[in-house]
Amino acid sequence: MRLVVARCTVDYEGRLAAHLSEAVRLIMVKADGCVAIHADGGAYKPLNWMNAPNTLLDEGERWVVTNPKGERLTIELLEVLADERHDLGIDPGLEKDGVEAHLQALLAESPETIAEGLTLVRREFPTDIGPVDLLCRDAAGVAVAVEVKRRGEIDGVEQLTRYLERLSLDPLLRDIRGVLVAQVVKPQARVLAESRGIGWVEVDYDVLRGAAVDDLRLF
Amino acid sequence: MKFRCERDVLTEALSAASRAASPKAQLRVLSGLRFDLRGDQLVVTGSDLELTISSTVEVAGSEDGTAVLPAKLVTEIVRHLEPGAVEIETSAERSRVSSGRSEFTLLPIPADEFPTPPEIEGEQVTIQAADFAEGLRQVVGAASTDESRKVLTGVLLAAETDGLRMVATDSYRLAFREFPGSSVLQAGQRVNVPSRALQELTRSLDPEAELEITLADTMVSFRFGGFVLSSWLIRDEFPDYAKLIPTDMPNELTVDRQVFLDAIRRVKLMARNNSPIRLEMQDQAVRLSAQNPEDGEAVEDVDAKFVGSELTVAFNPEYLIDGLEVVPGDEVVLQTRDPQKPAVIRPTESQDLLYLLMPVRVS
Repeated sequence: MRLVVARCTVDYEGRLAAHLSEAVRLIMVKADGCVAIHADGGAYKPLNWMNAPNTLLDEGERWVVTNPKGERLTIELLEVLADERHDLGIDPGLEKDGVEAHLQALLAESPETIAEGLTLVRREFPTDIGPVDLLCRDAAGVAVAVEVKRRGEIDGVEQLTRYLERLSLDPLLRDIRGVLVAQVVKPQARVLAESRGIGWVEVDYDVLRGAAVDDLRLF
Repeated sequence: MKFRCERDVLTEALSAASRAASPKAQLRVLSGLRFDLRGDQLVVTGSDLELTISSTVEVAGSEDGTAVLPAKLVTEIVRHLEPGAVEIETSAERSRVSSGRSEFTLLPIPADEFPTPPEIEGEQVTIQAADFAEGLRQVVGAASTDESRKVLTGVLLAAETDGLRMVATDSYRLAFREFPGSSVLQAGQRVNVPSRALQELTRSLDPEAELEITLADTMVSFRFGGFVLSSWLIRDEFPDYAKLIPTDMPNELTVDRQVFLDAIRRVKLMARNNSPIRLEMQDQAVRLSAQNPEDGEAVEDVDAKFVGSELTVAFNPEYLIDGLEVVPGDEVVLQTRDPQKPAVIRPTESQDLLYLLMPVRVS
């Protein structure tokens, strides 16, 4: 990522003609070639930009960006105030199941939210059919397998049941019990879990991550 | 099973029952409506296990029987038929829905998998529906839709010494309605009824009807005419709301309700994504304003009577509108204490309805 703060003018020629008169602006050149010119306002939206693929010709005081559609962005740099480059690395992208993963991380940090006296042994504890989200010990030292879901449904109970079957084969975990943790546990899942001796706990994601602190609430 | 029925009568029964059906249920039978025909009486039932709605109508029955048909499809088919008589005939292999020159064949869902509608035994009271329906309309909207706080997704019905109370809250606002002298519940009784069930009840409830309410330990049912709605109760303890109702509110704004609502709706156009609108309360007016950095700002002054210390409070405009819409009367009173304490919206001439609203913190 190259960030240039400069007093500049910008001219665009393509589907229409546009001119940005002389002012101080931020010019971003992303690693994929995108060029965006920002003012100090207007939220996320650039004043002008050209997406990749394009060609940037750096002539010192004048940049010319062209693309295969015949569009042309000409930036005249009248005074460069800053010019920096940063390697941002590979972005992990937006995780669709980010809440569930984050919930697991938050619970790993504070397992006592699930039950008093619970301590973490390991996250993603391996079994031969896949890892269980959290392996903990309760206050009496008994192993507790915790499966974390956004919504606790019958599938989650079935999954935890399979993990418990595998884990109980280990002599060190013979008395292991299970707890399904979710923001919401559906009534059918509660009944199934209880019928199998599996516990269930509902947790408030906003409270765990501290997001609710700034809200003014009645409760 | 075979019967004939007028399209509009059948459409109404199917629409009511299908609101409890669950099109995306893991159990396919829950996406269906159960038809039970005995003589000339047809009972149509939909259920998602938590909520069950049955509607009974008179038909011209030819052959008793039971069948389950896909709720959405059969309701839409009947609704779109030409006006007049509709005939439905079912067998184990197929069901036929016909009217005039239209004929549809549906594959039935095995009826024996359909859950048996609950028989609720408990205290039973009969009341005039009108007041009860009005109370529900005023409070149900304040209930939470956030399933992660299940207890707040219900409406509390509580017997107090002076009558019945209805309370609903989503933790940002709280609606409170009293019915002095009403004895729907036994002394000290409190039940938390899912707001979804009550919303469905208000959609179907005839204000002129007599409403029969049956309360058991874990379930409630509402019955009027041929309509029966039954629901599980929420078992978690409702929060202690009484301590939140303020008694000392030094600032009081009295304003024309419709003028205030219209102004809020206009100014809200600039409050994107439910960003707050500010209310600057002054001697003879309240100034509403909203702004967003991308589009600009809006300001409007509304005539009002104000008693107290001038102050500015910001609210979520949707919640403010919801509160003003359910308060009866031409004028409303907005009481405030400070910009971070709950405000109260209430009618000018009654203490039976309160709408508590939490401000939004602004810089």
